[in-house]
Amino acid sequence: MSAIKNSSIVLGIVAAAVLPTIWPNPYYIHLMVVIGIYAILLLGLDIVVGYVGEVSLGHAALFGIGAYTAGVLNFQLGVPFLLAVPASIAVTGLFGALLALPALRVNGPYLAMVTLAFGTIIQILINEMTFLTNGPLGLSVRKPIFFEHQITGTDYYYIVLLALVLSVYVIQRILKSHLGRAFEALHDSPIASDCMGVSVYGYKVYAFVLSAGIAGLAGSLFTYSEEYISPSTYNFELTILFLLAVIMGGRKTRTGPILGAVIIVMLPNVLSDIALFREISIGIAVIAAAYSAYAVTTGQRSLKQVALPVVATIALAVSGFFMEDITEHRLTIFGVMILFVVYYLPNGIMGFLRSLVVKFRPQWVHRHAVILEHGDQQHIWSVPDHPVTAQGHLLEARNIVMQFGGLKALNEVTLEIAKGTVHGLIGPNGSGKSTMMNVLTGIYKPTSGEIEFNGKIITGTTPSSIAGEGIARTFQNVQLFGEMTAIENVLVGLHHTFRHRLIDVVFQTPRCRKEKHAAEIRAASLLQFVGLADLANEEARNLPYGKQRLLEIARALALNPSLLLLDEPAAGLTAPDIKELIVMINKIRGHGITVILIEHHMDVVMSICDTVTVLDFGQKIAEGNPAAVQSNEKVIDAYLGGSAKAE
Amino acid sequence: MLQIKELHAAYGKVEVLHGISVDVPQGKVVTLIGSNGAGKTTTMRAVSGMIKPVSGNISLNGKNITGMTSNRIARAGLAHSPEGRRVFPTLSVTDNLLLGAFPRLTFGRERGDVPGDLTRVFELFPRLRERENQLAGTLSGGEQQMLAMGRAIMLNPDVLLLDEPSMGLAPLLVKEVFRIIRELKERGITMLLVEQFAAAALDVADYGYVLENGRISVHGPAEQLKNDPAVKAAYLGAAH
Amino acid sequence: MEILAQLIVSGIALGMIYALIAFGYQLTFATSGTLNFGQGEALMLGALVGLTLVGHMSYWLMIPLVLIFGALQGIFVERVGVLPALKTKSEFGWIMTTISLAIIFKNVAENVWGHDDITFPSPLPTSPIEFFGIRVLPMEILVVVGALAIMLAVELFNRKSIYGKAVIATPNDRDAAGLMGINTGVVITFSYALSSMTAAFAGVLIAPLTLTGSTMGVVLGLKAFSVAIIGGLNSGMGVIVGGLILGIVETMTGYYISTGYKDVPGLLLLLLVLAIKPSGLFGKSVIKKV
Repeated sequence: MSAIKNSSIVLGIVAAAVLPTIWPNPYYIHLMVVIGIYAILLLGLDIVVGYVGEVSLGHAALFGIGAYTAGVLNFQLGVPFLLAVPASIAVTGLFGALLALPALRVNGPYLAMVTLAFGTIIQILINEMTFLTNGPLGLSVRKPIFFEHQITGTDYYYIVLLALVLSVYVIQRILKSHLGRAFEALHDSPIASDCMGVSVYGYKVYAFVLSAGIAGLAGSLFTYSEEYISPSTYNFELTILFLLAVIMGGRKTRTGPILGAVIIVMLPNVLSDIALFREISIGIAVIAAAYSAYAVTTGQRSLKQVALPVVATIALAVSGFFMEDITEHRLTIFGVMILFVVYYLPNGIMGFLRSLVVKFRPQWVHRHAVILEHGDQQHIWSVPDHPVTAQGHLLEARNIVMQFGGLKALNEVTLEIAKGTVHGLIGPNGSGKSTMMNVLTGIYKPTSGEIEFNGKIITGTTPSSIAGEGIARTFQNVQLFGEMTAIENVLVGLHHTFRHRLIDVVFQTPRCRKEKHAAEIRAASLLQFVGLADLANEEARNLPYGKQRLLEIARALALNPSLLLLDEPAAGLTAPDIKELIVMINKIRGHGITVILIEHHMDVVMSICDTVTVLDFGQKIAEGNPAAVQSNEKVIDAYLGGSAKAE
Repeated sequence: MLQIKELHAAYGKVEVLHGISVDVPQGKVVTLIGSNGAGKTTTMRAVSGMIKPVSGNISLNGKNITGMTSNRIARAGLAHSPEGRRVFPTLSVTDNLLLGAFPRLTFGRERGDVPGDLTRVFELFPRLRERENQLAGTLSGGEQQMLAMGRAIMLNPDVLLLDEPSMGLAPLLVKEVFRIIRELKERGITMLLVEQFAAAALDVADYGYVLENGRISVHGPAEQLKNDPAVKAAYLGAAH
Repeated sequence: MEILAQLIVSGIALGMIYALIAFGYQLTFATSGTLNFGQGEALMLGALVGLTLVGHMSYWLMIPLVLIFGALQGIFVERVGVLPALKTKSEFGWIMTTISLAIIFKNVAENVWGHDDITFPSPLPTSPIEFFGIRVLPMEILVVVGALAIMLAVELFNRKSIYGKAVIATPNDRDAAGLMGINTGVVITFSYALSSMTAAFAGVLIAPLTLTGSTMGVVLGLKAFSVAIIGGLNSGMGVIVGGLILGIVETMTGYYISTGYKDVPGLLLLLLVLAIKPSGLFGKSVIKKV
């Protein structure tokens, strides 16, 4: 199948390259150039909107910054093309950072709000700062001269085509690498992502800055293409068109943005030609009605579900006959298109086509890179990034208080974990065990108290830095990256082993390939250790519940932790699986990893724990070796409510 | 009063209840016991509408309430004091209690004497009266449990669901909670009680069902269950 | 000194409008975690509908009709834009749908009322009153009084009536609210109705002071973002302070620097507050139990 895919890509490039010779109309060549430039921007925007799931309402403004940086540098300072373009990328990327760093700190619609405000301001500033930008009068720029040859419109077509091909290549490389995995992970499960060392905040900013830089590239290319830029271009309408293009084309694909670019460049032309509009709208209504009829008769959709979109498309077609000039209403049409896509085509046209192809020829669509590496015994274990140097306890949580309003979930709890032991943490529901877990991994900041790990105070630090220090965990409510395969999940845990930089990813340097290969072998080995080797390429959400829990353990071990926190690992496992689990935990301890185990299955706790701490009502009520704890009266009371029955 | 027949419930793809049947006659206290993860809270949530059952039939006072949304079930007369208390932290104690009577103050339930009932709830929980204007989020765990129970009572329900009322409470407070349950029983309130502390639950209940891995393994009059070896195995699963 | 005082006083009326729009953002964000990116358009529609009505009746009679219109418009936005998007559980969904509705409303308004700005007849005398050398328009006083009145009315409703308590309970704990017999879906619809209603009211308040047209809502809605964030998306009173701060800073920037740069402080304040205290100057950072 990839043979077909590769050859169609080559065919596409060749066709695009040959186009100007077959059809030398300068107007259409210029149109293609604009499509190419928009496509580059949209590929970048897809990283933010399609992968990370944030809305940017300022990409037209970033496009404008790219355009004006190149324009101003050339117009005011005579900076040549080959320097102006990289400068635009850098400057726009910087603006991206300026926006993203404050706006993404907290969850919520803040990035959308900030970028919307930014978009308005930039237009105003470009208009006002006439000393720099020439204000509303605009800037003129000439296409570059290379080796005494003045680049023509057709020449420029090839430059932009080359830029587009390179952009697709580079972005593809990035998204298929550990960086792309990080983007997907933070969207799938932000909590797990942070706890596996992939900082949600950090990578969201990274994604936005990348898309800003790409927008800058597109902007600078645009300046040289148009040879005249003015502030009115980079307005809210353009930002809306960009968003429409990304979601209509199809997120998380490379062809989607290109298709989207074609649509939005052609759209104004369609709207200004009323005859063309009528033809196209009738065509769309017919397709919608036909598909709906098919879907309803085969039972995939109810009549109620298809009624609204079919009526809407017919209404649109009919409205074309009542109006002479659609351009007055174009924003209404864009708005309706966006609504339509958000409700009925969430994965865009490419996503829709893909889902059709999957139904008839599933083997043609592969969603994940199949990793065929086989693991082995040698590669399961690795040295922690931060070797254990603490002389005394590995972890000391001193006088931890965790208060939610008036509720003291943890009341002056002290926990001392000795190196190389399996330390059990038990207690009835609501006693504070999971709260303690969350405090230790940085998800909650304790109201008071101190946590020292491996000689370092870690109280109040972020989950991703705590993961970096060497503490890994599993979750009571499974937090896997559902849409990724099992082995990809483990690879996210191995994110910290990818030390190479963006440059290495782009150029696929030996260092990059080496680290990738090593990680894949390691991941496969870890899957073998937990017994999931043959399910490596299965999507995590399709795995049975018990296997999902084991996958979480494999992923946590990938972090090379010195301390592993297991939150009810035996829940949902059958008896033989629990025996396997006990063997696994023993092996983990055998390799020098300290374990804290929260469990309700007493047989598990009794058979492997060296020490057991019992919590009740947010306080430590007993601690010691398992046998002693089991016969402790206070413990028996806590679990059975002995005093309550004395009535 | 409350009849559950062949109830199947799931979380996502994982089926957690595999066809359980429980009957709560009027004026009686029925308890559902079992170890963690057996499905007790899932049962409560399915009955009160917090989750939608996969299949089965639930009827309240002869009316079919299967699959209804929780607010409609509340208005039909079923009150649920949920696991984890879930009081409204930014509202005062009094406001929390008044919200319990929301269907009576708006529509759905007969209005009756709301201020009088409020006074009676305060008599039952004197600690709450001391804190009547305090924000519920600042109350301690035990006080929040009292508030959640009081709030449920304010509905003047036909059936009262109590989900793990003792969870996370100090032994002294657990005693208090069960004393109150006994008093409610004396007032003739029909209750379905889910508890981790099987012994205490069986002490106050008339009838009991033992839930194991999503199925009823044993059921019978509470006295009988207390002495049943199978029951001892189920509720001693927490600690041997 | 006199100029400074004049600038401050001029900034207050503007600031109260910002506060009123931001108040609308809070209403819906508090109950549903969403807000209407077309809040400015709700204001604009209120003003334009008010303009049409005022041709047939007095300003005072027009107000309740505009309030009803605003409420209906809010319900429409919630049913068409927010409710279906909330089902998909993505932020992206409701942001895009409320934006689409906004641009549709604006386009429709352009086609119905035209592109040009129209003067809204002022119900109060247009000659300024003088206090200690500072000139205040009677309409500006009405803006401040009106805005405060409606915000106070909503706050009282929330605190005193059982419906208001239900509205507060819903975001506190949606599941538990359902157990109380509260239809949380209706609560959210109601908060949108209230939000658009206050925006429409803001529209008829500010219309006599500025030019009324299809573009009047865009910038106002945007500025109110800053105010909502400065005040904290969850707190009530912070928006008034935030609005006053922004209004005054803007009038001063407009005078001392240049009218062109008037809109810049809003964005800078927005970025600054997000960088330092994202929950807003008056917001409470809540630790959420995971």
